[in-house]
Amino acid sequence: MKRSSEALWWALFSAGGVMAALFVPAFVIVTGFLLPAGDAAVAAERTARFAAAVGWWPVKLALLGIIALSLIHAGHRIRHTLMDLGMRKQSGLLKVPCYGGALAGTVWAAMVLWGI
Amino acid sequence: MADKDTMTLEVFRYHPETDSEPRFQSYEVPYNEDWVVLDAINWVKDHVDGSLTHRWSCRMGVCGSCGMMVNGEPKLTCAAFLKDYYPFPIKVEPLVNFAVERDLVVAMDGFMEKLQDVKPYIIRDDVNDTSDGEYRQSPAELAQYKQYSMCINCMLCYAACPVAGHEDDFLGPAALALGHRYNKDSRDQGQAERLDVMLAGEAIWGCTFVGECTVVCPKHVDPAGAIQQAKAMAAQEYFKGFVMPKGTGVAKGAAK
Repeated sequence: MKRSSEALWWALFSAGGVMAALFVPAFVIVTGFLLPAGDAAVAAERTARFAAAVGWWPVKLALLGIIALSLIHAGHRIRHTLMDLGMRKQSGLLKVPCYGGALAGTVWAAMVLWGI
Repeated sequence: MADKDTMTLEVFRYHPETDSEPRFQSYEVPYNEDWVVLDAINWVKDHVDGSLTHRWSCRMGVCGSCGMMVNGEPKLTCAAFLKDYYPFPIKVEPLVNFAVERDLVVAMDGFMEKLQDVKPYIIRDDVNDTSDGEYRQSPAELAQYKQYSMCINCMLCYAACPVAGHEDDFLGPAALALGHRYNKDSRDQGQAERLDVMLAGEAIWGCTFVGECTVVCPKHVDPAGAIQQAKAMAAQEYFKGFVMPKGTGVAKGAAK
């Protein structure tokens, strides 16, 4: 019987779900609230040290992994939501914008991380 | 407000030999606090209109025959109390996502085929002689699948699932949960065969994790959870297929 490639997308979706649920909220709290909190000078010092840590290549690699999988997760979810909304026949075609968008976002993130 | 002692039942009627299209028929039924919707339908059948056709058997949530749409929600009519709807009218329809055979009776053929597709029985490579005794199983091994064995095939999950209504190749919640039940059974060695069926096309991947199947399940089977676990299993099997194209038998070891 012909095996569906959906297994591949689902596995990436599943991994991305873990990343998006565990790490993304943590990053929002850290970068959005904890780093800029309190005295401005102390916050600037703290932010500088955080930025230096992000400059280290293993951290960049981990960030890229988290971003890429989270984007694929989003793309897969959007694709399946559109299928539920009546685009079931176009499920193959939807891969292009959904996973293509995730790929584009990943390339962009890689370029930004490279520049740090 | 309806009269205190009666309630209105709006029932979906369709007799294919005489009706060109379905219609609704209203019946005034006695209101009784202890009555369930099934009691009211039976009362109509016995006292008002013998031509009203519906399926039922046990009246106690075991047989899975009396599933219908009650005010648009898939319910076992033997477990839907009139008092929860009183004094407003109750609309009773056949389960959606199925073809109607007559009145409240739906065609089950497609569902039965899907149940058979997942091979819902213990598959062994080596069948022990009965004189060797039974296949032993620990309480922990039983707990792995017991929840999924509680399904009564009432098909409420198919009526609740938006995918089941649009994708014929999707095996659907109950069949996938039942397949998963045998995949998780320590006595079974047929996991690879079942995953082959599940990995094809939309059979399992049609599920977009809406989760309504679990919400409506009267036996708390959690088909949505079973499908997610089965997807993880199927994904592993998919990747193994690249490493050893003929080696799908690996999954048999995992069933231990």
